[in-house]
Amino acid sequence: MLRIENLHVSIDGRLVLRGVDLEIGDGETHVLFGPNGSGKTSLVMSILGYPGYRVLSGRISFDGVDITDKPMDERVRMGIGVVFQNPPKIYGIRLKDLIKIISKSKMSGAEISGLMDRLNINSSLLNRYLNVGFSGGEIKRSEIAQVLTMKPKFVILDEPDSGVDLDNLQLIGRELAENLKDRSGLIITHHGYILNYVKPVKAHVMVNGVIVCNGEPETILNRIKESGYRWCERCYEMRRSERL
Amino acid sequence: MLRDEEIRKALEKPAKYGVDLDLSRYEFGEAEEFTEIDRDVSKRGMEVGVDLDKKESLSTFLHVDYSTVYKSVQRQFKGDLELMTIDEALKKYDWVRDLFWKLRDPCEDKYTAFTALNAKGGYFMRILENRKILIPIQACFLLFTQGIIQPVHNLIIAEPGSEVHILTGCTIHPRVTRGLHLGVTEIYVRRGAKLTYTMVHRWGPEFDVRSRTGILVEDRGIFISNYVMLGELRTFQSQPSARLIGSYSRTSMNNVVYLKGNSEMDLGGEVLLEGDGSRAEIILNSVAEDDAKITTRGRILGLANDVKGHLSCRGLMLSDRAEITTIPILESKNMNSELSHEAAIGKIAEDQLNYLVARGLSRDEAESLIVRGFLDVSKMQLPKPVEEGVRRTIELALKGF
Repeated sequence: MLRIENLHVSIDGRLVLRGVDLEIGDGETHVLFGPNGSGKTSLVMSILGYPGYRVLSGRISFDGVDITDKPMDERVRMGIGVVFQNPPKIYGIRLKDLIKIISKSKMSGAEISGLMDRLNINSSLLNRYLNVGFSGGEIKRSEIAQVLTMKPKFVILDEPDSGVDLDNLQLIGRELAENLKDRSGLIITHHGYILNYVKPVKAHVMVNGVIVCNGEPETILNRIKESGYRWCERCYEMRRSERL
Repeated sequence: MLRDEEIRKALEKPAKYGVDLDLSRYEFGEAEEFTEIDRDVSKRGMEVGVDLDKKESLSTFLHVDYSTVYKSVQRQFKGDLELMTIDEALKKYDWVRDLFWKLRDPCEDKYTAFTALNAKGGYFMRILENRKILIPIQACFLLFTQGIIQPVHNLIIAEPGSEVHILTGCTIHPRVTRGLHLGVTEIYVRRGAKLTYTMVHRWGPEFDVRSRTGILVEDRGIFISNYVMLGELRTFQSQPSARLIGSYSRTSMNNVVYLKGNSEMDLGGEVLLEGDGSRAEIILNSVAEDDAKITTRGRILGLANDVKGHLSCRGLMLSDRAEITTIPILESKNMNSELSHEAAIGKIAEDQLNYLVARGLSRDEAESLIVRGFLDVSKMQLPKPVEEGVRRTIELALKGF
């Protein structure tokens, strides 16, 4: 589904990804861990083709097609959907307006109302301007609702569990688990709470703009919980010295 | 009379804001004979939210140039509402004189002075105590003769406990290019009454407008004003001013403006929170395209206990040659008043565009959605047919976006 090779990316002249390799197979969900500022969100934006993220070298292919130089709208049309961590506020556009536009020809009215019910999105939230005065939980539920309405082949979730209380986490977790059954995904998480609901097949850890280790999600998460990311930083240093 | 002399002197006095106009540039006194409401007129009416084809079934007031050509009260509301010309009202009730020129000063500037000395018509609306008029009253001011000044003076009284929505559409016949509309409107919202006052304007590229609106709101009264102006004009200036003298009275002023061409507009809104617990919200949203210049001024004064006011001025620039200025003013003279404002001007934000593109919209679709969002009228809670009319007008003005 997704294949990233030796990806180097800069933003405003600052190198943020320094040779990322990642491969996610059809129908697989992976999880990406990493300390703050390690480049996780930059990787998401680079996969999406968000303006400003400049690929210096390396390659991204999606569904067998090289998308390294394709614009964002094309990648979205190919089936990449991203749940953003900090979406912008947009006055004047209601959540329901956007859901309606996204759903065009993709989802029936009944399907939409089912999804909104399961995500506990009521008409009062639907009638509010996008992300204006939304709570942490409301932002996540709105983001997930929009992205699932797009019916993407590949879902990227940037910190779906940050700033969310337990009730919201359960709601989101169950809906994501159900929806990730028949598509591929990449979940970024700092704390790993979402893994109580969603079970990825593989985990990766990013430090300083590179992926330093890959493995079984539970094992890696436990290790991070025990020793913190310092343990990963050691791997980073090891890899660096190997390369040198 | 001394007063008249004083007013005559004010004929030379420029307004505090806006471009100064030379009143001698316009004709005044004679108008062409208005024959009928033809298709051009009813189409223009629809564009400002007034359905003249339904004038028999809705409460309607139609004023053309200097005279009232039609007025009627919807059958089911007969006895709930008095609708007449201001001259009829002044003759009928002595007390109308006591409410006349009390909320605006005739000596304020040359426009009020001209209207005080020369007003030809205007409506008088009085909603009787505790009566609820659930279907909007529609009033339309049309300028039919090229190049004239149209001075009108309106008076609205919502008696205690009454409720009404007044929709005023002001426009010109499509053949008219030049002229000046001077509208003075005084609005009294009595104890516990609720008045919604919606005004939609559509003018032409050489047309000038000066309007002077004064509002007084008593205990627990609610005044909601909605103003929509789309397209082109030459110059416009208005600063409606509301005094909330009643305790727990409320007002909300929503303005949506989209200007093109060489239009120059100075639009304000002012609320004096004089009653304990009174509340005000002023929203001034403006979009400027081409060479349009827009100044928005909001002013809220906190003068009593536990009052709250919020002011929002947002401007969207769609051209490098356009100009937007926003001047928000908050003044507090009471420790227990809470006033806030937000103001922002800019082009369409890249992060918003990219966000929508990431959701599958094309860049063009995303832009058009953001601009339409700026002109969102759904917050105005207009009656459905009116909202649809206004939306159609927005679509018309936004052609190409």
